[in-house]
Amino acid sequence: MSLTSLVPLIGIADVVIGLSLGSRLFLIAVGLSLIFGVLGVLNFAHGGFYMLGAYVTLAVVSNVVDNFWVAAVVGALAVGVVGAAIEFSAIRRLYDRVDSDLDQLIVTFGFVLVIHETVRFVWGSGSYSIDPPDVFNFSVTLGGSTFNAYRLVVIGLAVGVLAALWLFITRTYFGSLVRGTSSDREMAAMLGVDVPRLYTGVFFLGSVLAGLGGALSAPLQSTSPALGDQVIIDAFIVVVIGGLGSMSGAFVGAMLIGMMQSLGPQFISAGSIAIPFLAMVIVLLIRPEGLFGGIGE
Amino acid sequence: MSATDTGGRVSRFGSAVAEGWTRERLGLLGAVALVLVAFAPPFQVYLFTDFLVVALFALGFNLLYGYTGLLSFGHGLFYAGGAYGIAIVLRDLTPVVADVVGAGIAPLVTFALGGVVGLALVVALAVPVGWLSVRLEEIYFALITLAFGMLGYSLIIQDPAGLTNGTDGVIVLLGTVDLGGFSLRIGGRRIYYAISAVTVVAAVYGVWRVVNSPFGTVCKAIRESPDRAAALGIDVSHHRWMTFIVSAAVVGIAGVLRAGLASVASPGLTHWSTSAIAVIATVIGGATYFYGPIVGAFIFLYIRWAISRFPALEAYWELFFGALLIAVVLFFKQGAVGGLLLLRDRLFGDGDADDAGSGGGGARDDGGQATAATDDGAESGDDNARADRGDNS
Amino acid sequence: MTTVLKTEDLRKQFGQLTAVDDVSIEIDDDKITSIIGPNGAGKTTFYNLLTGVLEPTSGSIWLRSGEGDELADVTDAEPHEVAQAGLSRSYQITNIFEGLTVRENVRVARISHEGTRLDFRSRATGDESVEADVEELLELTGLTDIADTPCDTLSHGEKRTVEIALALAIEPNVFLMDEPTAGMNPTEVTEIVSLIRELDADLDATFVVTEHNMDVVTDISDRIVVLAEGSILADGAPEDVLTDERVTEAYLGSDSV
Repeated sequence: MSLTSLVPLIGIADVVIGLSLGSRLFLIAVGLSLIFGVLGVLNFAHGGFYMLGAYVTLAVVSNVVDNFWVAAVVGALAVGVVGAAIEFSAIRRLYDRVDSDLDQLIVTFGFVLVIHETVRFVWGSGSYSIDPPDVFNFSVTLGGSTFNAYRLVVIGLAVGVLAALWLFITRTYFGSLVRGTSSDREMAAMLGVDVPRLYTGVFFLGSVLAGLGGALSAPLQSTSPALGDQVIIDAFIVVVIGGLGSMSGAFVGAMLIGMMQSLGPQFISAGSIAIPFLAMVIVLLIRPEGLFGGIGE
Repeated sequence: MSATDTGGRVSRFGSAVAEGWTRERLGLLGAVALVLVAFAPPFQVYLFTDFLVVALFALGFNLLYGYTGLLSFGHGLFYAGGAYGIAIVLRDLTPVVADVVGAGIAPLVTFALGGVVGLALVVALAVPVGWLSVRLEEIYFALITLAFGMLGYSLIIQDPAGLTNGTDGVIVLLGTVDLGGFSLRIGGRRIYYAISAVTVVAAVYGVWRVVNSPFGTVCKAIRESPDRAAALGIDVSHHRWMTFIVSAAVVGIAGVLRAGLASVASPGLTHWSTSAIAVIATVIGGATYFYGPIVGAFIFLYIRWAISRFPALEAYWELFFGALLIAVVLFFKQGAVGGLLLLRDRLFGDGDADDAGSGGGGARDDGGQATAATDDGAESGDDNARADRGDNS
Repeated sequence: MTTVLKTEDLRKQFGQLTAVDDVSIEIDDDKITSIIGPNGAGKTTFYNLLTGVLEPTSGSIWLRSGEGDELADVTDAEPHEVAQAGLSRSYQITNIFEGLTVRENVRVARISHEGTRLDFRSRATGDESVEADVEELLELTGLTDIADTPCDTLSHGEKRTVEIALALAIEPNVFLMDEPTAGMNPTEVTEIVSLIRELDADLDATFVVTEHNMDVVTDISDRIVVLAEGSILADGAPEDVLTDERVTEAYLGSDSV
């Protein structure tokens, strides 16, 4: 099969779908990466946060106000609050431990279970879906293939978030605190940085991003309690490939994985699920810091 | 060994049992208990067998985590390896074996063969996976083992060469042994329990020997300070690799038993959520004690069962364990075993009971003081596997 | 008199900074050698090069390994290989196995030396010969009384002594001591100094010591090497080196912190 004959198989729709998936993955991955880069915590529960964002958004739309964007913002912020609460009450106690890394991983895994069950308790085991907000809920046809316009919005938002984060980290005071503290916590504390509050703030931000990702995903995929577990693995793959602690790495990695999931099955039906894991293994062995390794890049 | 030697050993054992709550007495009681379980109602026998298998899984996992400080989220790979090994042998080789040893004894021989193949498969996997993984530290080790486990999962469900039967898994039919007028259904609850109990006890003993050997001592040193160990001449990567292989082998044995118990080898075994069971059981039981994973597995299975009696609660056992996991790591890392030892010290007031800063009265080799994060309950000279500083049997 | 440790034009560069600048030195077994120098002189980097923790930018390192006089090239060796070859080290900031008891600490070192580490079959204590050696070392370093105490409960001075016992357990030809009296009170200092002298007399190991405490240096050294800005400034008998003007200038000059 020659290369040129492959091209017609890749519809523009597939690319857009891949990118919109990548966009949502970016949001959860960048949050995960940020938290790891600054606090050194690999938050297993980040998938649960994503899922929670979707559920809260759905709940708000169904019960409070029929405006998707408001609901999404509420969802994202709610998740931020939950995240901050978890950091404050549980994770904070672990920073000074000798084997903090592993303890943190286990504790956040505990929260995976707790969040999963809480969601199931409140909303049941079934799945929910909603339509994209009316104003964007129409089909676009380009180059012979069709996709929903909402996806373009998601992609645009992801790019916007990347830009906003970049500006935030490089241009604001808070951002410089983040950069400084991530390289040397003790030094930062000695310079008068309120490290605990900074940590909670970063955790809040990282959680908001995950929640936003989940919120935006609600119109594109069905939301069920299994969502958290599915997406955390993808998020891990993304941050490993992109580089733990790197924003641009999270973006590139997420888009790569998104495209792989969208286009992969067409090219290599067998083994397409294995490829991301294989890539993860290879990156960890050859270049553990990922493609972009390092904070704030 | 002369008759007098044997006689001497027996009488020494007997007096040790009579002397009080010694290791010998506990061992004897344990053996009696194991025998008694065989006479319980079928479901209880099944549940107990399940517990034994999970306990071995967790014990193998903890060889790497509690003793060497490496957290693996991919040990399910070896669990599945053992299970699929025996399942495939039973499915495909039973007729061949029957031709060689006769149809009567064939099921048992094939079972044993399957176990060996499963174990060999697991070791063959563990050698490269381990070698690659131990080069990474902490979080990255957890991530790469997770990746390997999930890689295994995604490969198994592809049904390579028609071997693994995709998502449905491979059915395991244990068969019946026919010897003259006497037949034994290997898959029968009590028979299978007996097979499992013997295997698990032997494997636990094996792990105990490892942990209490110079090999195990070096593991602990590496957990404490890899740099210091290297500066003393220890090849840390090599040692971790060896530990990884042993750990995987133990988990592989558990996997072999799992296949027979569940009557199927399924891909879910290598999913990270299965690996997580070993983590939960170990941490709740107390990773720093030899028996921690076993006690944790007991808690995991029996509380789950207890919860299942109440349909309203049943659906939320995960919530319970999630919360328990968090609570243990945050407030009481000694886990259940630590708690039990504390309780025992308080109740029996040996006078040796001590609060080592982190609130645990756990014991150590040679009766020294304990610290939560590093206590291991493994014994030396005293050989007291209960990690008890009070007993000097 | 035999050379036990030798470096030839040993250099370590971190980007633009040259921490160790073409240092060539020969350590002989008949003296206790002290390496001194102001902060930032490169002593710790030098030690890290010798122990294999850092890779040299250029130059070579030679170590007497075993009984004979030949020196083995350990320039590219990994830390555990260097240790096996006969170089042992104690750390400026105590680095022992805190969670284990004193006895277990020494035992680990002994097991490593014996190479029984892959032996599953023996009991925790290894075999009797390991235990006997452990006991001997504990006596030699005066640790028998606290042998079964977990190290995280020990005093600073006691931990430092455990550190020494650990390093000696692998029967090194050369023992690099990195500021052995750091953080000790005067009583502890005196104890350590006499311990070092005793050990030097009783054992075959050659002691090389870095120190900031000048009293200790003058007390135990047979030879003093002064490092400043990565190179050897002075090298010789204590009375010569300590009266050398360049040395006093290096210490009191602008680069002493």
